[in-house]
Amino acid sequence: MLLRGIISTPLPSSLRLKTPARHKTVAVSAHTSTDTKTTNYSISDQALESRGFILRRTIDDLNLDHLNTVFVAVGFPKRDPQKIKLALEHTESLLWIQYNKTQRPVAFARATGDGVFNAIIWDVVVDPSFQGIGLGKAVMERLLDELSSKGICNIALYSEPRVLGFYRPLGFVADPDGIRGMVYSRKQKKRK
Amino acid sequence: MLTRNILAPSSPWPVVSFDFRCQVSDKLLTRRYLNYGHDRGLKKHNSLRLRAGFWDSIKSGFLKNNTLQVIETPSEPQEDEEVLPQEFVLIEKTEPDGAVEQILFSSGGDVDVYDLEALCDKVGWPRRPLSKLAAALKNSYMVATLHSIRKSPGSGNDQKKLIGMARATSDHAFNATIWDVLVDPSYQGQGLGKALVEKLIRALLQRDIGNITLFADSQVVEFYRNLGFEPDPEGIKGMFWYPKY
Repeated sequence: MLLRGIISTPLPSSLRLKTPARHKTVAVSAHTSTDTKTTNYSISDQALESRGFILRRTIDDLNLDHLNTVFVAVGFPKRDPQKIKLALEHTESLLWIQYNKTQRPVAFARATGDGVFNAIIWDVVVDPSFQGIGLGKAVMERLLDELSSKGICNIALYSEPRVLGFYRPLGFVADPDGIRGMVYSRKQKKRK
Repeated sequence: MLTRNILAPSSPWPVVSFDFRCQVSDKLLTRRYLNYGHDRGLKKHNSLRLRAGFWDSIKSGFLKNNTLQVIETPSEPQEDEEVLPQEFVLIEKTEPDGAVEQILFSSGGDVDVYDLEALCDKVGWPRRPLSKLAAALKNSYMVATLHSIRKSPGSGNDQKKLIGMARATSDHAFNATIWDVLVDPSYQGQGLGKALVEKLIRALLQRDIGNITLFADSQVVEFYRNLGFEPDPEGIKGMFWYPKY
């Protein structure tokens, strides 16, 4: 959801994952297959792997302190790791990318919901040192794939204004049909 | 004297059974208002003022006939935070024929899917598969309901009818999102929707879920604004993936 921070130095070309002139297509299969999907992602699983990035779909091997470091690096407030653990244990779907060399998480996204109708995507982060090479997109594409293959039709998120441009190409629309995202604010409670 | 024992549905939260006195000659029923924890940030006098305004808005919907008694009246705020009771009577109304109707709030989540489907029909929502409805309820962190319980004079039978519901999904730690807020059209306009959402918010805050969110159709944005929700805070936008609009 929140992508903050900018890359201060450009990455060496060996790490560039963006294949030029390749249009992203995401084909959603109607029946869930547990084997390799025929889906076309911007960057394939193999491409990620060959560059030292491992896709993970469970919290096994996820070091929560390292994850917290990434959260803080992109500007989230520092959160209690025990609370993060609780949140992740009650998260319907999550995806993260592990950098083989350091074994640390470098990209992450998760979705909560009721498992049938609605899902909300939270905590979309990419380590600032690894931004701009397609990892955020890789995580999002796969998470969306997983959610829609469960039959969830209503997938939403809350986006900071400066990353609306990240979510739009993925297929997200802001305020469709006038629907507004609202957040409860304890400071300003009004009564008629 | 009426004693009401609330049977405990299976749920993780404790159920409080309470007595309340009914003075038949006195029109106004009072009982000790079980104050539920409000957040520590609010000053006591602020919350009293807010609560009074809230109950006034409920009462005003009923003051046409004075056989209505509002059961819950705000009393002095409690010093310690009390847990919101899982189930309690919001409003009680005595009709001319002696029948008594109670509006019961519950956060125990005990919803009959057939009742829910009928309620969704009444408000004009498109039909959804029952098995999915059941799964959605089961996977929700909290389901709050309003039931109307009608006791006819002399008859032993109570008529219980689902008249409102709201549910929230959550990761149990940081975020909660409220979905599917609905009130039976014949019970709308009386502040029941507000009560439903208000109680749901209170229960979530009590469980330390700090971020409560929802998506509002344009025509109900004001409704939620009046309950303390802010659209697009700091420019943060709600976005949907390939919406069907």
